[in-house]
Amino acid sequence: MSSNVSLVETVKKQYAFKMKAYIDAFSSLVGIQFIAFLFSLGGGSSSMGTSDGYHFELKFYSADLVIIFTFIWIFVTAITITTKPYRNQDFTFVTNRMSSSLSNILFLLSASLLGAFTAVLSRFLIQTVAYFLLKEDLYIASVMTSEMMIGITVSLLYVFWISSIGYFVGTLVQIHKGFALLIPVIVIGSLFYDGFMQRYAMLLILFQFYFLESSMVLFAIKTLITTAVLFFASIAILNRMEVRR
Amino acid sequence: MNVIECNGLTKAYFRKNVLNGLTFTIEENKITGLIGRNGVGKTTLVKILAGLIKETSGEVRVFEQHPFNNLYTSANTILVDDQMFFPPALQLHELLEVAQSFYPNWDMELAQRLLQYFSFDPSHYHQTLSKGRTSTFNMIIGLASRCSLTILDEPTTGMDEAVRKDFYRALMKDYLAHPRTILISSHHLNEIEDILEDVLLIKNGKTLLHESISDLKEWAIALQGASTVVQKWLVERNCIFQRQVGKDTLYAVVRDDFTKENKEEALRGGVEFIPVKASDLCVYLTNDTKGGIDDVFER
Repeated sequence: MSSNVSLVETVKKQYAFKMKAYIDAFSSLVGIQFIAFLFSLGGGSSSMGTSDGYHFELKFYSADLVIIFTFIWIFVTAITITTKPYRNQDFTFVTNRMSSSLSNILFLLSASLLGAFTAVLSRFLIQTVAYFLLKEDLYIASVMTSEMMIGITVSLLYVFWISSIGYFVGTLVQIHKGFALLIPVIVIGSLFYDGFMQRYAMLLILFQFYFLESSMVLFAIKTLITTAVLFFASIAILNRMEVRR
Repeated sequence: MNVIECNGLTKAYFRKNVLNGLTFTIEENKITGLIGRNGVGKTTLVKILAGLIKETSGEVRVFEQHPFNNLYTSANTILVDDQMFFPPALQLHELLEVAQSFYPNWDMELAQRLLQYFSFDPSHYHQTLSKGRTSTFNMIIGLASRCSLTILDEPTTGMDEAVRKDFYRALMKDYLAHPRTILISSHHLNEIEDILEDVLLIKNGKTLLHESISDLKEWAIALQGASTVVQKWLVERNCIFQRQVGKDTLYAVVRDDFTKENKEEALRGGVEFIPVKASDLCVYLTNDTKGGIDDVFER
């Protein structure tokens, strides 16, 4: 009567279960992107000038803010799914720690894909609304599908990378609640300290390593390796964790 | 085949041993009652068996495998308690579908009929259920999953009398149709003794007694009579429980190792022999003092 189950099969089932059960994460994505969309209608980084008696004002309508809000969203979502109620509901059904983590990562990948896709495409919505409702004269650089694809891919890499940071931070907090205090203190503290010492912030250098990479391939390698290392570390830590309901 | 084997199982929380060298085995397709006082380590034990927590030392085998972090034991074991956590975003009927996708032996028809019988609204959410309703729903999941090892930890918490009776009857019927190993921990032995085959009595994190329920009913006997006479019979016997009844009458429970001649002699001396109910015996055995709560007041 006892039945055998495989890891792959269990991960698939857990993944299908999580796509349904974590529906709140997707509704909050809609909410947060809508807020970012409203902010974007103000027009980012505008510049004004007067020339030959003409006054001109230049505004940029882009999806930048939506993408940044999406980063925040995936970070929070990744931390949330490491918390106790989320871990415990896995164990109501069939799982071990490995399948629980792997299905979480698959879920984060799907969420990242959806987030990146909608964030990049939101640019068209913002520009359309600016044109029709705000009556702005629009000058759009022609959009090529290939550029669009690169935009989505890069955003996906960023979002997935941030999800791995969030997942790792969440995992650390699960080992000891002290990390919830320690991590913000280290991050913000290092900024203040570097400012006090009047030198370039370490954190910025770290971010520039990823953000200022001009080669697409190198960028992809950097983020993917970091993502893999962080997820691997989280799996290794969570694998020893007991479930106390 | 032994479904559960524990050998010197120990679990410590903050250097305090909750389980202290627990040793027992449970055979396939038996219904065993896990009995013990509050805080004796019943919940800790079932969590180890379900693979939720890891033992500190000793050996534990479920289906001949180590249960912690084990997919095989997870698929064939279900732990039902009042802390089962279900995703708040899913309705009750969706939860049944999720459970169906996970448990290979799941019986959807049974689950739905039970849901209907206990008049659940399938579109409700688990979080909105009351305590007794939560236990009832969790029990439905536990029964319908038909896991080879079904562990019920205080399954009747908050249930009313009628539902409790229905639940035990449903458990019995489903067990007869689909035999499996069932472990029930409960405070109410008198309620469950009719469906149990074995009783595993735990005290201070150790196995105190592991007997079949019929043996347990004959394990001890109570003597009642004039204090002086009863006291005489208690000499060289380990008295499990004693209580003063009236002014000069003593009620004492001892292990039933009296020979026929002994009994006749005692009867002539005016001592009455009374059978001890299994549930009472378990309470007496797990008491730390012989007189129970009376000892506190007699100073």
